[in-house]
Amino acid sequence: MSVTTESANHGPGAPRPAPRANRLVSTRAGGEMVRNYWDNLFTARERGATVVWYNGAAINPILQAAGVEWCHGEAFGARLAAMHLEEPAQQEGEAYGYINELCSYARTTLGCALLTRKEASRRVEVDQAPGVPDKEVLAARLPPPDLFVNAYAGCSTGQQWDEISYRLFDKQLPFFKVSYPLLWGNKPDAGYLRGEEWDNASKYVAGQLYNLIEFLEHQTGNKFDWEGLRESMHYIKRAAQLRLDALELCKARPTPAVFWDWVASIAPINFLPGNQALVDYFQGVKTEIEQRLEQGVSALPNERYRLAFDGIMNWNKVGWLANKFAEHDAAVVCGRYTHNSFWHEPQLIDEDDPILGMAQHYLLCPFNHSAQNLAEQVLGDCETYGIEGIVFHATRTCRSATNGQLVLAKMAQQRGLQTMFFEGDVADESFYKDEILQSRLEAMLETIDVQRTRLS
Amino acid sequence: MEQAAEIEEIIGSLARIAECPSDYAADWESRTGGKVVGILPMNFPAEIVHAAGALPVIVQEDDAAISYGRSLLHEFYCGYTRSLVDQAATGKLACYDGIFLVDHCVALLGAVDAIRFELPDTPVFLAQFTASMDETTTRPQIAGRIGELRQRLEELCGEPITDDAIHRSIAAYNRNRGLLRRVYEMRRAGRIALSGRQMQALVKSAMVMDVEEHSARMARLLSLLEAQPPAPSAKVKLHLSGHFCHAPRPELFDMIESCDVTVVDDDIYTGYRFISTDVPDHADPVEALTGWYFARNNNVPCSTRAQKTVDWESYLGQALENTGAQGVIVLVPKFCEPHMLYYPELRKEFHRRGIPHLLIETEHEGLALEMLKTRVEALVEVIRRPAVIREPA
Amino acid sequence: MKSCVMGIDFGSTTAKAVILDLGGRMLASQVAHMGAVSGEGVAAAIAGALDAAGLAQADIGRTVATGYGRRMLDIADRNYTEITCHARGAVAMVPQARVVIDIGGQDSKVIAVDAQGLVMQFTMNDRCAAGTGKFFEVLARAMEIELEDMGALALQAQQSLKISSMCATFAETEVISLLAEGRSKADILGGVHAAVATRTVGLVGRVGRKGPIVMTGGVARNPAAVHYIEKALGEALILPEAPQIAGALGAALIGLDDYRREHREELEGDDALEAQMALDKACVPGCRGVPELAPPPATAPRGNAAALWKRIQSHL
Repeated sequence: MSVTTESANHGPGAPRPAPRANRLVSTRAGGEMVRNYWDNLFTARERGATVVWYNGAAINPILQAAGVEWCHGEAFGARLAAMHLEEPAQQEGEAYGYINELCSYARTTLGCALLTRKEASRRVEVDQAPGVPDKEVLAARLPPPDLFVNAYAGCSTGQQWDEISYRLFDKQLPFFKVSYPLLWGNKPDAGYLRGEEWDNASKYVAGQLYNLIEFLEHQTGNKFDWEGLRESMHYIKRAAQLRLDALELCKARPTPAVFWDWVASIAPINFLPGNQALVDYFQGVKTEIEQRLEQGVSALPNERYRLAFDGIMNWNKVGWLANKFAEHDAAVVCGRYTHNSFWHEPQLIDEDDPILGMAQHYLLCPFNHSAQNLAEQVLGDCETYGIEGIVFHATRTCRSATNGQLVLAKMAQQRGLQTMFFEGDVADESFYKDEILQSRLEAMLETIDVQRTRLS
Repeated sequence: MEQAAEIEEIIGSLARIAECPSDYAADWESRTGGKVVGILPMNFPAEIVHAAGALPVIVQEDDAAISYGRSLLHEFYCGYTRSLVDQAATGKLACYDGIFLVDHCVALLGAVDAIRFELPDTPVFLAQFTASMDETTTRPQIAGRIGELRQRLEELCGEPITDDAIHRSIAAYNRNRGLLRRVYEMRRAGRIALSGRQMQALVKSAMVMDVEEHSARMARLLSLLEAQPPAPSAKVKLHLSGHFCHAPRPELFDMIESCDVTVVDDDIYTGYRFISTDVPDHADPVEALTGWYFARNNNVPCSTRAQKTVDWESYLGQALENTGAQGVIVLVPKFCEPHMLYYPELRKEFHRRGIPHLLIETEHEGLALEMLKTRVEALVEVIRRPAVIREPA
Repeated sequence: MKSCVMGIDFGSTTAKAVILDLGGRMLASQVAHMGAVSGEGVAAAIAGALDAAGLAQADIGRTVATGYGRRMLDIADRNYTEITCHARGAVAMVPQARVVIDIGGQDSKVIAVDAQGLVMQFTMNDRCAAGTGKFFEVLARAMEIELEDMGALALQAQQSLKISSMCATFAETEVISLLAEGRSKADILGGVHAAVATRTVGLVGRVGRKGPIVMTGGVARNPAAVHYIEKALGEALILPEAPQIAGALGAALIGLDDYRREHREELEGDDALEAQMALDKACVPGCRGVPELAPPPATAPRGNAAALWKRIQSHL
């Protein structure tokens, strides 16, 4: 059970206002860019644009070069949840028959698909639906698709979900799927960015991307703009490098920015067009962090603990969680979802011939690794950022994000890191249990205190 | 021995083996000195393990309550995957010389990764079959993966696997599936009155036994069944659907059948789904096994595969027409996402065709049978009423 | 031929009995509260109904039982599930209803029905207490208020608290911590009722809104539950006068169909009865909407009301 009201953070008579996270200001510009992107997308049909609905990897540069507009289903689901506007879509999904243990991204965006269909056939009577008209309008505003592309790594549900999207639109629309092998590691030479398996998987996915381009050319009648692709990958590579540089600055103690700031920067790097504006955005973020370092401004008023966050985001609770950790003087410095994802190995991108590097990034989805691979990345980051404990978000309806977590926790414990789990979900707040997070977090921080006493 | 008693005896012995595959495997190992390979659902070509001279055993869900496995896999995973991990954590997978799998299911892969961590000395091999059947790149990819599987099994068993050996294994498995399908045909035609529990024992035992040995018992059983008088049933005829990768609890069948119901057909994994399709003829046995992967999904579509051209719901509608089943019980293992995704599509089709159905969520921890019985009885009451014009729901 | 039929709903926390004459008129109904499934309660309901109608057990031509304890009643000639019976009873009380929401002690169900009170489709909550009478009961206890006062208090909520978890155990701890935070009982209860309403609307969505919605079951007597469900649905619920007896009435009506069919020839001469039956569409003998009945078992011996309790007790 969670309670959402303005004053729910602290009860009456609390002795002092709880410390709050000092969030980056520069990320607000990203919020604006993302809002404009969606507003523009909502009018795609009126503008006569061709619309692709896609899920999974950031194939948007390919879609852009194919001359189509792109709608990332999960991103929209996340957006609805972050705005607390997910309910109408989820109710529509539930009425259609989805059980609430199903991936809440899928339930939400399939609910949107149902609403979009209704809207398209002018059957949605939002003005007459009491209580929720404004909310439903947003959930129903996606432009109907002209084609589907599924590019989901790691998660079988992600692929199956678009089989349903395809069926919800009467199996009439062209549909292409990119498949990815899990980076599993059958052979001893396998590992992060290395081994025969990695090479083979990279080539397999790259081959499919060329096929995807052919498919898009065939379906749209547009000649693929290779020069355009190279250009957007040039900007994306620069933006990605700036993001990495800025992340790196957070090795500082106290840290100038926290995980929640990086969460706010996911949408721009995940699906906005590769252009100078994107580069400017990440330059802005990096500059703000540099200024903070110069001026001695930190993300938390009193950083006392440094933690990592593992798992996919709980979109209903970003601000809530940011303050919750700040209240406990716990700086969440890094996380798998922000640090091991989203064009995070830009050196792999050959700007002149970007397809292979793109394929490799798609394979590097943070949920497409074996536990061994995850440990290499996540525990490496823990060392880099001086982490004392890992907070695992046991994401109720996302098996893809929770695979390997318990094993990873054991490996982390072996290295002397503290670990804790809390339950929640990507886009369904009913699974979040505040009291569990609260008590486990406190217990973990107490343990870190005890550990420090023993070491000192 | 009297025929009916012998039928009982054969099925009972198969049920006991299905109940405890590790005992059978240990016995087989001591008899033959061969390797025992644990294989995982859903599309694993057991033929290739058999051709390597090893015993392929599909690892089943275990009845035991989840204990140590809890620390390796979250509780919001399906009962089968949690049970697999718990079996690893409690030493029950020790009888396998390796664990092999081909299927991409996010929960299954998570579970097997945890098993690999728990059992570092057991060879675990994933030859991931691409789940999208539609793209031109898939078929060569599957063939390549079967090639890798072959190579890894050769290493494990220390012998090359010849094409001839694979051909022979294919023939043995095709025969076994044919025998089981014959029992299914007899059930659909009302010629036999085997219970759901018994039917499951036949298929489950085929998943864990030496194929020739199983076929020998099935052949004897069939000759006995064919000599029995027909057993037409006046009960409500139902089709059981769902459970793509493991067995529903037999007490569930018992409960359903206690509600004046005869199960005439199913498409569950430990049922018709498993035996639906033979490996097609092909000079290259790897090509043949690749073809089987695609043919299976054409015959009995599975929502764990991504294929634009076939639909589970259309298959079900057709199956009901063929058998005259009056309704469907859909068995969804709790947390099975492909099933949850497709359930509304099934429901739409059932409404379109006016087929009464009931959804039952199953769990590893067992079932509230009394509560479920009320629902099954309500379904039977709906079916029993004379036909009225049903508005589509 | 006997003059009456009886329906008994042997529920988890209450027992209900309804007696009809052969014209389909209700002669008596009785609701008995009891603890868990109890023979004493069901005997009290049956005896109360018989007494109110001035009848003896021997006057009853057919008895149909429903509810969780339905199979324990050997005085019943037949038993049907509460899904079939609630649907039938609700439509008899509210002929225009096409969807029935029934929230009882242990489960909540939503049933789509046709004009004859026959089940088109149904759905029920999963096995936990979420969204049932039990859920309210647990929370009333946690808040130290009487179950009966809960609805009135919830309607006084000033602030809307959003409570998203429906697990009774978690809800209980949360309610306690909300009280500790100084939240008013009314606001918390408002949130609790709104959460149950959301859950219920989800079930309605599953069967589809086929037409007017009637609410039956004990929780229909809780004004706050009705208010919040109406708010979430965006439409008014139809409440029968006696929402609790829908199941027993449905059972009685099924018994009536059955008994009339059996005695069709004897009834043919009675013009008044035939006219009444023609009016009562769902109850016309041979009505195609009636569940087809299995061949009846050997007629059970019937005792009188006073001896009921002993008999029932011996079967529990």
